[in-house]
Amino acid sequence: MTDQIIMFISQLFSGLKIGSVYALVALGYTMVYGIIRLINFAHGDFIMVGAYVLMLTIPAIVAAGLPAWVAIVPAVLVCVAVGIIVEKAAYKPVREKGNSMTALITAIAMSLLLENGAQAIFGADFQTVPTIFHLPSIAFGKLKLPGDTLLTIVLGLIIMIGLQLFVKFTKQGKAMRAVSEDKEAAVLMGINVNSTIALTFAIGSGLAAVASLMYCAAYPQVSPMMGAMLGLKAFVAAVLGGIGSIPGAMIGGIAIGLVESLTKAYIGTITGGVITSAFSDAIVFAILIVVLLVKPSGIMGKNEGEKV
Amino acid sequence: MFSKKMIAAGAAAVMAMSLAGCSGGSMDDSSSSSSAASGDTITIGSVTTNSGTAAAYGEAEVKGFELAVSEINAKGGINGKKVKLESLDDKGDATEASNAYNKLAADNSVLAVAGPTISATTAAVAPLADQTKLVTIAPAATADSIETGNYLFRTCFKDSYQGEVAARFAAENLKVKKVAVLYGTGDPYSSGVGEAFAKAAEKLGMQVVDKESSSSADDTEYSAQLQKIQASGAELLYAPYYYSVAGPYIIPQARSVGFEGYVMGPDGYDGLKLTGDKSQYDKTFYTTHYSADDTSNTKVQDFIKSYKAKNNADPNTFAALGYDTIYMIKQAIEKAGKSATREDVRNAVAGMSFEGVTGKFTMDKSGSPTKSVIVLELKDGKPVYNTTVQPK
Repeated sequence: MTDQIIMFISQLFSGLKIGSVYALVALGYTMVYGIIRLINFAHGDFIMVGAYVLMLTIPAIVAAGLPAWVAIVPAVLVCVAVGIIVEKAAYKPVREKGNSMTALITAIAMSLLLENGAQAIFGADFQTVPTIFHLPSIAFGKLKLPGDTLLTIVLGLIIMIGLQLFVKFTKQGKAMRAVSEDKEAAVLMGINVNSTIALTFAIGSGLAAVASLMYCAAYPQVSPMMGAMLGLKAFVAAVLGGIGSIPGAMIGGIAIGLVESLTKAYIGTITGGVITSAFSDAIVFAILIVVLLVKPSGIMGKNEGEKV
Repeated sequence: MFSKKMIAAGAAAVMAMSLAGCSGGSMDDSSSSSSAASGDTITIGSVTTNSGTAAAYGEAEVKGFELAVSEINAKGGINGKKVKLESLDDKGDATEASNAYNKLAADNSVLAVAGPTISATTAAVAPLADQTKLVTIAPAATADSIETGNYLFRTCFKDSYQGEVAARFAAENLKVKKVAVLYGTGDPYSSGVGEAFAKAAEKLGMQVVDKESSSSADDTEYSAQLQKIQASGAELLYAPYYYSVAGPYIIPQARSVGFEGYVMGPDGYDGLKLTGDKSQYDKTFYTTHYSADDTSNTKVQDFIKSYKAKNNADPNTFAALGYDTIYMIKQAIEKAGKSATREDVRNAVAGMSFEGVTGKFTMDKSGSPTKSVIVLELKDGKPVYNTTVQPK
């Protein structure tokens, strides 16, 4: 293999590394949106909450002789609790009284509350997370494929398939789909709408905890604002894939990661240095605009003229 | 760039200012009407970043201020008056910094301001300092562009100077020929130092084999750029980023794409956050203002001792710069005399010669000191004193 091809494949893998994290986060966005048509802007901050739980519990777990990734258990529990509290305390009352716009603004408010709350509790400074796991790279000659990235992708795929099966075949999953189709009719069919929505939030927040584990394994540092940009890019990923679609979130996340990495690597060469790698974020958000113009429902989304 | 001409200009300025200081002194008894220093306390304002990305810097600066103020008060204050520190947080935001600054400027008892912390907030405050004629000394804002040459001064050296010194160190001490630069274009600090390094490196006959950028200085993923740098055959990577990015992201990612050369950075590496295997931080150097191991400066050990006694922790660069800033203000107010006005204090700071824990220096015309730069090397994850690069 020539060095150029090795370089290209390595760039693809660094795209997959961040893309697989975006995919996990986008799954949480899409899950909640698919059921209650709410873009939960606080989702990125649930990841921040999960990351702080990891940072605080890993030392104790390692001291107890367990592997560090067991910290996912308290992280999931705390995130699920935070998710359900946010839903019951903020989103539910607003959903009953207001419209989709008030719900959206409430979500932004919750995001700010979580960010500033974390800053008040933990301080604004960055704190490092102890090493969670480090899988050896798989080497093919000169090409090295990082094991952590492969694990994140596999985990994302398992979660995607699991969620899809859950929503399609279980009773709660059917209830979720019924609520998403027609809330009033679902009530008439004897479905407890509130507990179904709470379950949706619990799953979405649990996914945030898993995403924070994979994020912290790749980027071992936490700060109160860490969820903001991550959440925003995962939101773009979810829209690109078709918000509400579970496989779409996966595809969207990986696509955004690849675009970001390849832009950073090649845009300078292609444009002769006019556009530099510094434009990668701008290009990611330009994709959002193009998607909204050309195919508002996203790659995997159904065309149903939804207002976002 | 700090030629003899400039030092001469600085010396001339010192003389001119000391004359101005004298004339101010002779008016001491006659005028006391609008004197800002009236009353039995002197208020020094401070605007620093105590929350947000650069919070660690601002908090350390405030600790340095507080230590200096309590020492000064314990020794009888300035010109027999007690010193009060009025400390405000700008959250790292330009608007917040302007608001906080205006609040201090409106208070006539405030004679001088220490701060702001980062270059972005300092740039916002600089024109206000000139407007309100309130001398402002930024402890650690290194951006070249903040200079007004009037009421704004700084305790630290500036970015372009830091980039030049790093290039000189790379060429003369590390003896490398091929260098690469990676910087965040969205951040004036990162891009300012990076550009200055690249320019100086070329002047010194080194080859800049790759120049990469990221959109912001707080990205998390740099593997794409680092792979290109690795492929370019660079022996040294100059990556001017903050401690929270260079530590957990850039250096480990550079090592994981196979880059084994030197990594160098600016003073933003102070307090570098380390993750994983410490050996990956070997061959990392950074330029800074202060080192606890600097045995040539007797003030350093005294400062460390009293800082430890008060805060129960070791001081960092920002605490040291903050500490020096308050003593610079003290020296200036003392020189300006008992009934000094804001203008008198400014004139006393301009061209002053000062000896502190971050070195001996003279203020140049633009308000930046000409001073020596310390280079630290990471050994087993800890910064160790390597050398002091003297001004040319």
